[in-house]
Amino acid sequence: MLSLSHLALLLCANLASAARLTVSIPPSPPLLPNPSTLPPSTHAVLVGPPGVHYDVPIRRDSTFVFPDVAEASYLLTLHSRDYFFPPLRVDVSKAADESQQQTIQAWQTFRGNEWDNKGPHYGSGKGELQLQIQPSGHKEFYQERGGFNIIGFVKSPMILMALVSAVMIFGMPYLMDNMDPETKAEFEEMQKSSPLTGSGGAANQIQNFDLAGWMAGKGTSSGSGASGGGNSKKR
Amino acid sequence: MRVPWIAATFFLARSALAVFADEAWNVDYHYALLGLPKQSTSFFHQPNPSSRASLIYTLSEEGVLGAVNPRDGSVVWRQLLLSEALAYNVSFLRAGEGQDTVISGIGSQVAAWSAADGRQAWILDTAGPLQDVEILELSDGRETAGAKDAIALSGGEHPAVVRIDGTSGAIKWQYQWDGVDQPYQVSASTTEVFAILLHKTLLGYVKLKVVSLDPVTGRKTDEHVVSSENELASAETIVSVGANSASPIVAWTNSAHSVLKVNILGTKEISSFNIEAHDSHAVERVEIHAPYHTNSLSHFLVHYETATSHWADVFHIDLKNSKIEKAYSLPKMTGKGAFSTGTSDANVFFTRVTRDQVMTVSSASHGVLGRWAVAGFGVAAGPGESVEPVHAVSEVSIKGTSVSAVRSAVLLSTGDWVLLRDGSPVWNRPEVLASTVSATFAIPAEVQEFVQQLEAEAHGNPISAYIHRVTRHLQDLQKLPAIMASLPQRIVQGFLGTSADGGIASDSFGFHQIIACATRDGRLVALDAGNPDKVLWNQQVADLQLGQTWQPSVSSPEGGIIEINSKASAGVRYNASTGEQLFSILPIDETAGEVALPVKYAIHKGELDATVDTKMAWHFTPMSGERIVSLVPRPVNDPVASIGKVLGDRRVLYKYLDPNLALLVTANDVTKAATFYVLNTISGAILYSNVHSGVDLGSPISSMLSENWFAYSFTAEASANSPKGHQLVAGELFESLVANDRGPLSASANYSSMQTGTEPFTLAQTYQIPEPISHMAVTRTRQGITSRQLLAVLADSSAIVGIPYGVIDPRRPVSRDPTKDEQMEGLVRYSPVLDFDPKWYLNHQREIVGIKDVVTSPALLESTSLVFAYGLDVFGTRLSPSFSFDVLGKDFNKFQMLATVAALAVATFVVAPLVARKQVNARWQFA
Repeated sequence: MLSLSHLALLLCANLASAARLTVSIPPSPPLLPNPSTLPPSTHAVLVGPPGVHYDVPIRRDSTFVFPDVAEASYLLTLHSRDYFFPPLRVDVSKAADESQQQTIQAWQTFRGNEWDNKGPHYGSGKGELQLQIQPSGHKEFYQERGGFNIIGFVKSPMILMALVSAVMIFGMPYLMDNMDPETKAEFEEMQKSSPLTGSGGAANQIQNFDLAGWMAGKGTSSGSGASGGGNSKKR
Repeated sequence: MRVPWIAATFFLARSALAVFADEAWNVDYHYALLGLPKQSTSFFHQPNPSSRASLIYTLSEEGVLGAVNPRDGSVVWRQLLLSEALAYNVSFLRAGEGQDTVISGIGSQVAAWSAADGRQAWILDTAGPLQDVEILELSDGRETAGAKDAIALSGGEHPAVVRIDGTSGAIKWQYQWDGVDQPYQVSASTTEVFAILLHKTLLGYVKLKVVSLDPVTGRKTDEHVVSSENELASAETIVSVGANSASPIVAWTNSAHSVLKVNILGTKEISSFNIEAHDSHAVERVEIHAPYHTNSLSHFLVHYETATSHWADVFHIDLKNSKIEKAYSLPKMTGKGAFSTGTSDANVFFTRVTRDQVMTVSSASHGVLGRWAVAGFGVAAGPGESVEPVHAVSEVSIKGTSVSAVRSAVLLSTGDWVLLRDGSPVWNRPEVLASTVSATFAIPAEVQEFVQQLEAEAHGNPISAYIHRVTRHLQDLQKLPAIMASLPQRIVQGFLGTSADGGIASDSFGFHQIIACATRDGRLVALDAGNPDKVLWNQQVADLQLGQTWQPSVSSPEGGIIEINSKASAGVRYNASTGEQLFSILPIDETAGEVALPVKYAIHKGELDATVDTKMAWHFTPMSGERIVSLVPRPVNDPVASIGKVLGDRRVLYKYLDPNLALLVTANDVTKAATFYVLNTISGAILYSNVHSGVDLGSPISSMLSENWFAYSFTAEASANSPKGHQLVAGELFESLVANDRGPLSASANYSSMQTGTEPFTLAQTYQIPEPISHMAVTRTRQGITSRQLLAVLADSSAIVGIPYGVIDPRRPVSRDPTKDEQMEGLVRYSPVLDFDPKWYLNHQREIVGIKDVVTSPALLESTSLVFAYGLDVFGTRLSPSFSFDVLGKDFNKFQMLATVAALAVATFVVAPLVARKQVNARWQFA
């Protein structure tokens, strides 16, 4: 994990002045107030052209140090158990002449986008670059089960309907008793004329349906609706 | 532009499966392993100099550096220093007294790690491979502040001794020498640094050359040869070079192990001692145990071992006149023993661990300070195998003049690392599992026996079957008292919702399968997947010499049996539940299987050859410049419930299902291209191929094939207008892309790969993934009705993710929203970025390191697949990719159900009089 790949080593050996990249994780409340709580398995990976690959573990001061990085364009990713970090593009480019040092530049990059689509510039340096990367999110591993929730239970339409009808059943007689006689008479009149609740209404018919009588073939004992079944049977 | 993708990812994340908070840590199990610890790199050390609590540090044979809590055996931290384990790697681990770092040396790298939390302090690359690393403990008062420096000896073309600054890791000085002398070890006293070099003589013998260096400047102060001309035939008989003791020594024996010679470094005199033979067996091994502290008494113990017994001598060094005297002997005992040193202030204590006792003596006299009998180490071993201690490290607590307690971390011959407090085992870590090279699931023998009995009853003649059944029930009746006794407990457990637990025999869901692991050192270890806290059995199945390797493959050809195949042996079978070797069944009766699979194919000299009855059937040669990377066939046991995919409008797309498919990956190292082929392994036809250019061939390329779909991943190089990073490609094969149409196959009733060359219609889609996938596997269920999950091992995150198939479905509509029918199917709009939702992590917060392979097995429940991952760590879990539709999970609240029933009962009793009154009133009152 920590060893550089052999090719990378060879590449490094060939370059006279190699670039040094230091990535640090600053305290970033409220997400990560104390970066020293990051587990020791936290590590940073620089993926360059095929075969060039650096992998360094986190240091005591919450930094990652790539001591010499060869000239190339790299994808920098930080892996941690509990946090996401944004991916970065790091370019190490040739110095203008021998005496000068290489240039290191870093930008944010977006996965799934073309490599030239660069985000905010994170910094640039000659021969050495120090970066600060803040975590972009916390990893939430667990899914809570939808437990029993009394408010959610009451809020559901079924229960609301049941509650309303319960209020109607128990509350209506009380309301009726408290009504003044005129309104009561008016109301009863209205109920009689209503097709559902009137004496000839469908609800009444169903309620007064004489099943035994119907089975026995009695015709017009109670409502006309009930006799319908009997009549059809007789035919 | 990215917002819709993110939205899509969130949508997927919500619809997909996840690890539930109440199942995590219960359903899954994990052994965070280090590998077999080595004697020279294991020790107790206090990570915080101000506190007395110490941890056990080790750098294992797998190249893993770790700290273990001696109280419960849990890993405090660990670092993988080698990506590929070498069986006998050269590695070093040192800790200076009172230091808060440990210093490791492996390969060519010296690194310091924070002892408390395992973070790196510094790392240094030496020019050549390391030969030794030591800590410089100078007594001249100049080293009081800051970290103690380290000295490293590196070999290679330019061997050198390097002094490394303990705080920064910078090189303070370097001493190189000319000539052909090979570096051997480095040693330091309080005033000098000694480099021990091997000087080859003309006759092929080696001579020990000691070079003294000034620790401040690194200049050579002296050089002399200590061993005589033809004493040492090779470096193997050099016993030890003590370091950091008040007077470092070098000791060697002659090749017959009959004379021990000791030299105090810095002097020229050699003390010679005869090794007395205690019995007819020759001494096979000589080891020296000396304290590693400069202020300790300069006493050391020499441990002699023969094939059947061991004993030890304790020697004292007289510092004034540089004389070595034998002080006393520890008597011979049969079996193997392990000695370890412990210190308390200047006093040195030797602890001896044998197979039946732990004993502590002071280095000053032979009086036994503490002796504890060991009733057993509490580990599983093979039948007739005696568990022997291999090596030990110990920590001695002293109260006054007596030893109050001894804690010893002992490596046993079974590969378990056990902590003994006095004589009783406190914990054990099955470190042998860290070198697992092959593993399989097997049905327990008890279950298989029951199946066979039922089959006998079903197929026998009615009378004998009836008698068989009655006798079986009578036998079962004997278990009744035990069942009755456990009944109350089971009822309580049933209420608490742990119905999946229980023993192997009472396994109604098929969760208690046996996992057999073959390890690199020739052992076979079995675990119970339903009760993984304990090793079921553990035995040596291959007798390997030092450095010898084997490539076993473990399989379970039928229920209750585990078979090991390796190059040397044709196939040895074991009882899955007990580990007993089965002689009665010979593995030759597999003729039926051979008829079913007439074409055999294998990779041979970089080409793929297939034969029918020793005749060449077909031949696959990669294109010039290409090499075969991997070949993944469709799993043999891969049941498919439906031959088609039902679309949203109830029409069907027919899957291209062929049992003889394989996914072949080839790579071209020059053009950096990787080619992926789907082959028919009967006819050799290429059904699908795809080339990806700009592939990083140094990164892992993983591939997988199941049912009618395949997946592979690789790392792509960037160009200006293409993305860089890791890609996952999923492809699905169909008979035709027209719904309700089987294409050319619809006319034929029968089908043979040899005759018809129907080609599938393949859909493939690429996704950008955040990190490389090092290995892929797929979940398996009993009937294949449950949807599948792609299991991807993420080495960088130390995780395994279960990717639901719906997320990587190549039929996701591209650059348009899904139609109503597609929505009915659960297809969402394609987005090129696939983020691994943390809820897909099977390991959730656990970190599983070094996984090399994942095996899956169906449980008896259709919804559930058992998963077992091995490599360095061992991890297992149960997965229900389509939720647990056939078993009540933990989300089923039994108390709530009972409460609901009770509430309804109460309501019924309350309402019943009301209703009765209303009915009576309805009859008598007329409105």
